[in-house]
Amino acid sequence: MDERTRRTIADIALAALTLCGAGLLLYGAMSLPPPRFEPLGSAALPRILASLLILFALIISATALFRHRQDTSIADATIPRGARADPRKGVLVLAALIAYVFALDVLRIPFTIVTPFFVTATGLAIGTRSWRNLVAFAILGLLLALAISTVLERFLYVRIG
Amino acid sequence: MYDAFLVLFAIENMAFLFIGTALGIVVGAIPGLTATMLIALTLPLTFHMNPVSAVTLLIGEYVGGISGGMIMAILLRMPGTPASIVTTFDGHPMAQKGFAERALALGIMASVVGGIISWGFLAGMSPALARFALKFGPWEYFTLVLMALVMLAVLSQGSMVKGLLGAALGMAFALPGIDNSIGQARLTFGYDSMLAGFGLLPVLIGAFAISQILRDSATPQTLDKMDLPQRHLPIHRSDVRFAPALLRGSVIGTWIGLLPGIGGNIAALVSYSTAKQISKEPKKFGTGHEPGVIAAESANNASIGGALIPLITMGIPGSVTEAILIGALTIHNLQPGPLLFQNAPEIAYGIIAAYLVANVLMLMLMWGLVRYIAQIVRLPRSGLMAAILVFCVTGSYAVNSSFTDVWVMISFGVIGLGLEYCRVPLGPFVIGFVLSPIAEEQLRASLMMSDGNVLEILARPYALLFLALAVATVAWPCIADRMAKHRAYSSKETS
Repeated sequence: MDERTRRTIADIALAALTLCGAGLLLYGAMSLPPPRFEPLGSAALPRILASLLILFALIISATALFRHRQDTSIADATIPRGARADPRKGVLVLAALIAYVFALDVLRIPFTIVTPFFVTATGLAIGTRSWRNLVAFAILGLLLALAISTVLERFLYVRIG
Repeated sequence: MYDAFLVLFAIENMAFLFIGTALGIVVGAIPGLTATMLIALTLPLTFHMNPVSAVTLLIGEYVGGISGGMIMAILLRMPGTPASIVTTFDGHPMAQKGFAERALALGIMASVVGGIISWGFLAGMSPALARFALKFGPWEYFTLVLMALVMLAVLSQGSMVKGLLGAALGMAFALPGIDNSIGQARLTFGYDSMLAGFGLLPVLIGAFAISQILRDSATPQTLDKMDLPQRHLPIHRSDVRFAPALLRGSVIGTWIGLLPGIGGNIAALVSYSTAKQISKEPKKFGTGHEPGVIAAESANNASIGGALIPLITMGIPGSVTEAILIGALTIHNLQPGPLLFQNAPEIAYGIIAAYLVANVLMLMLMWGLVRYIAQIVRLPRSGLMAAILVFCVTGSYAVNSSFTDVWVMISFGVIGLGLEYCRVPLGPFVIGFVLSPIAEEQLRASLMMSDGNVLEILARPYALLFLALAVATVAWPCIADRMAKHRAYSSKETS
């Protein structure tokens, strides 16, 4: 898939999601009471914003389609920042983050136990995978967990996990 | 003002200012990490601090973060912050020629002078501007917020429509929760956890820190060989000749900083272009010319002072960093704006005093430790990112001791990443989120005062001016485009 098609798809998807958001705003505004004590009312801003979002979504999708048909220069244009990136690493980090918060929130695993695992997993997902790094990240995670939990519990009286 | 300095010089406040400035320089020096991210991450900690200490810490981080960006811009041609991009034009060629110490010395000197001159504007203009802003009513405030939001959206990089879309989306995300005017739930769709709306902190940390880490973790980073500065940083008596250039860069930076949405990188670029245009040796710019470093660094640092003026006098954030500073003040039940000088003068003048002292601390830290700070880039990035993610989670959780905030943070991280992929700027999104409640409150108050009559705005000259500026900001790109086409057509006809 060339850059031009990718950009067009991204813009169309953005417009579609924006339209869904606008629909949600209009649906939510339907259940709000009419203005009683003041002229504007609670539903006015959601309706105004929904109208603006619909307008912008239509402009973006129309521009994307028009550009896709007309412009061939985008294919050779500057490659965006993330294009040469390895998106799998980003997905792995996100998955590790979700698992980490799930472990703390739902499974109620103590912060000092789950944090070294999270730091190790994330560090290895982003950086070079080696036994040396594994040990280094585990130690970093343990030190970080002990330091943060001490500050949170002793000084801010907050208990996490 | 004198009292503000006395309060600031208390050991606790000075310690926080020192820590903030030092942290800012270190984070600013690391490519990929920005002052905005640092401020968003330390915001939860300020929740438990007294307001003056909180403000000094954040101002120190802001000044240090912008200044620290120059180190890697000069040594590696890798700007630590976007504001230092222009510094690479002449700073790095100087380093390549073996004058890294000289480039750093000039950069630090220019940053400090830029900061001090813009402090002069901040201290001189702010109280008067705040007194003037006291005359504003709800119509003026509503149109001012609208103007700031529109300018920010239109002047952001990329498509104007996407900038406006970002602002509208940010405003839409601020809607759920209890509507304070009628005390009834709005757009919560029956979920009790939505009654409090989306918290400012989880949204800020998610949109900036999480999205940036997810993006950067996927991007490989290669570092060139770096020659660390070896000798003392050289400054000569003859450098007095740079005084006009320093003054020009600082004034340009301050005035550009005043405008919402433009930021330090554009301030540096305008200052650099101006210096090049009026120079007798324009061809030397870009090849390691000393005035190039001075123009860029004086302007980007001065833009901070400029941006703080509308923040403390009218409560209008010029950039995302200022939006986070507004968040810091609201956490402590302080409303930035003209009344800040009356209701909490220790904070209003404290910000002004802290900005000056942070610049002096930055000079001392950078001058003495630049050699050691430069080595930070050698730290493993993967460990750093993992540690930042842990800070993000604990920071979001600590404010309300609630994991709902942490899930909101992750969701906004994904939303931020998606918006950036679709080239929707995050600045208008976050500022729309911050300003939406203010805009709605002021609009409702205006309409109540005028009995629902929108035409009342015609009797308000300042409100009309702000509205006209907002309309002109949206219309100008189209007009400029038509004018350029007309000019091109006319020149074709004559030839």
